[in-house]
Amino acid sequence: MSAVSPLRGGWSLALLGLVRYRVIVILIATLVIAATFVPGFFEARTLSLGIDRVATMGLIAIGLTVVLIAGQLDLSGGAILALSGIAAVGLQESMGQVPAAIAGLGIGLLAGCCNGVLVVLLRINSLVATLASMLLFRAVCHLITDSRPISGIDPFFGIPLTQPVLGTLSTRVFIFVVLILLLHVWLTRMVSGRNLFAVGSNATSAAASGIRSRWYLFGAFAFSGLMAGLAGVTFGIASNTGSPVFGDTIVLTAIAAVVIGGTRLEGGVGSALGTLGGLLTLAALTTAMEYQSIPAYVQDIVTGAILLLLILLDRLTHAKRGTDVSPTALLRRLSPKRDAARQHETERTPA
Amino acid sequence: MIKKVFLGGTAFAAALLLASCSTSGADSAAESPDAEAGAGAEICYITAAESHAYATPANEAFQAAADEAGAKVTMLSQDFDVQTGTEQLTTCIGRSPDGIVLWPLDPQAYIPGLIQAQTAGIPVVLINSPMDDEALELVESFTGPDVYEEGVLSADAMDEALGGEGGVVIIAGQAGNGTSIGRTDGFTEQLEKIGSDIEVLQTVNADFDQQKALVASRDLITRFGDDIDGVYANDDTMARGFIDAWAEAGKDPAEIPPIVGINGQQDAFESIRDGQFYATIVQSPVEDGKLALETIVQAAAGETVENRIPIPLTVVTAENVEDVEPAF
Repeated sequence: MSAVSPLRGGWSLALLGLVRYRVIVILIATLVIAATFVPGFFEARTLSLGIDRVATMGLIAIGLTVVLIAGQLDLSGGAILALSGIAAVGLQESMGQVPAAIAGLGIGLLAGCCNGVLVVLLRINSLVATLASMLLFRAVCHLITDSRPISGIDPFFGIPLTQPVLGTLSTRVFIFVVLILLLHVWLTRMVSGRNLFAVGSNATSAAASGIRSRWYLFGAFAFSGLMAGLAGVTFGIASNTGSPVFGDTIVLTAIAAVVIGGTRLEGGVGSALGTLGGLLTLAALTTAMEYQSIPAYVQDIVTGAILLLLILLDRLTHAKRGTDVSPTALLRRLSPKRDAARQHETERTPA
Repeated sequence: MIKKVFLGGTAFAAALLLASCSTSGADSAAESPDAEAGAGAEICYITAAESHAYATPANEAFQAAADEAGAKVTMLSQDFDVQTGTEQLTTCIGRSPDGIVLWPLDPQAYIPGLIQAQTAGIPVVLINSPMDDEALELVESFTGPDVYEEGVLSADAMDEALGGEGGVVIIAGQAGNGTSIGRTDGFTEQLEKIGSDIEVLQTVNADFDQQKALVASRDLITRFGDDIDGVYANDDTMARGFIDAWAEAGKDPAEIPPIVGINGQQDAFESIRDGQFYATIVQSPVEDGKLALETIVQAAAGETVENRIPIPLTVVTAENVEDVEPAF
């Protein structure tokens, strides 16, 4: 952590710091731009509605963060979303609403386990494996519903999910935020979470150092499936509909959010808070552009541009990854006065 | 790591503060013209898509009618994605506009949103595509074509074209879409009702997309070949895909089976003159967009509007192709 070259100039360090926290920089830039275009952007209601827009995609992004850190890819999230949504809504009549929702989650988990088996046991490349399972799950959705949306027994049942709680965020946003914070704690505080990064960097050497790599990979896919299932169940209940076409485009946008958040497709690098930042950036963009009636394809241009910019910046920092750019180091390096004061303090403490 | 979060949080809070300062000015500026205009109703319009042969002219007509009426429109595009659409509906309701116009892409999924709109006292008008009956109780009105009737008219035209017997393929729109379901069900149920011996060989979904229709038609031509006596497409754009596939397969253009499409596009008219199309049904997107805007403005002003306002439909064949104006 303390391998700072004393010769490095303050400016280049500041730049590195900027790049290191690029998610926050981009997020703030987006928020400022959004605020100048949208009157009342920072009103609680506008913010709450903006975040509500990414809650469903956010759940899929949580699963994807884990899969991407493990160095894999999962394209089947959208299809799993549709499948578990159909289960959660379609089984309501025979099982009751809550058991049907649990069944939906179970189907998500099961679908994730299928992906895990394909990748870990049968050693199929994850992109190909999940592409195949995506097509398969989607086809099953069309097959069991006869290509028609099905509706639940009570449209009022799901309304609390999208309604703001105590005038703040909607229930589904709360579910998403709690889960992403839990993921953050797991990834940064728990040994098993840290092991995931090792598996993502190099599964073989992680296995050599006693980590059960293959179980981690399997677990990542199972978790991703469960999260997609949760997204499908919440969205199915909220719209009282299970449809074979739901979530058709959601996975690629979710991957974009995760990558904007600094998680690398190569594996071994990433964070839950980064994903949150990436999602909030997309949410702010969507809200700002919709208020201005800007066509959706322009929004895609902006998303694409941000993605490219961040990837290029990522290459820049990755080449200089020896440099310590933690907040404390940055503060110390960039403010000589405070640095002196702190040294002064430490000198006095023993006395 | 905690420090990193803390720093992020501080920066975030600073940005919030900064931005809220900068917006407070904009806020008051934005509110004053509203107060002056007074009559200008704010309408949230959730459209199906922005670049689409039918949706684009409908959107333009909607906007033009709004300009004339002095209403302010915020247009949100679902890009044919139901999930986006339901979330946009929630966003619209949260912004408390004077009225919402929704282009439903699913007969059910918007119902919880419509219930919320009703609770919030925001009038909603459905444009273009049908929803299930329980949804119609939640909205002020549904303006747009009777898509089931379009299917029925198409079946009659097809029956006439084939002389009551033969095998047809159906190129349907998006799976689960109300318009696709209505147009397809209307067609098949009418065939049954009139006791026609026309048999449906296969129904494929091509999402109202010419390219997808081309790909699907290739397969249909390969599989059924000369057994295809007629083609029913849910819209003219997809019918065009079949004509392309027919030409691609090296088949004689004069031998193409009779095609029945819907929408009444300019190129469909030309195909009818050339004898490649048997019939199309004119449904004007300009009327569609205009009618929806006029209805929501009335509803927003508290007037009572008809629960169902259909736009007129005209079946066009070689007999009357010179007398009817194409829809777009």
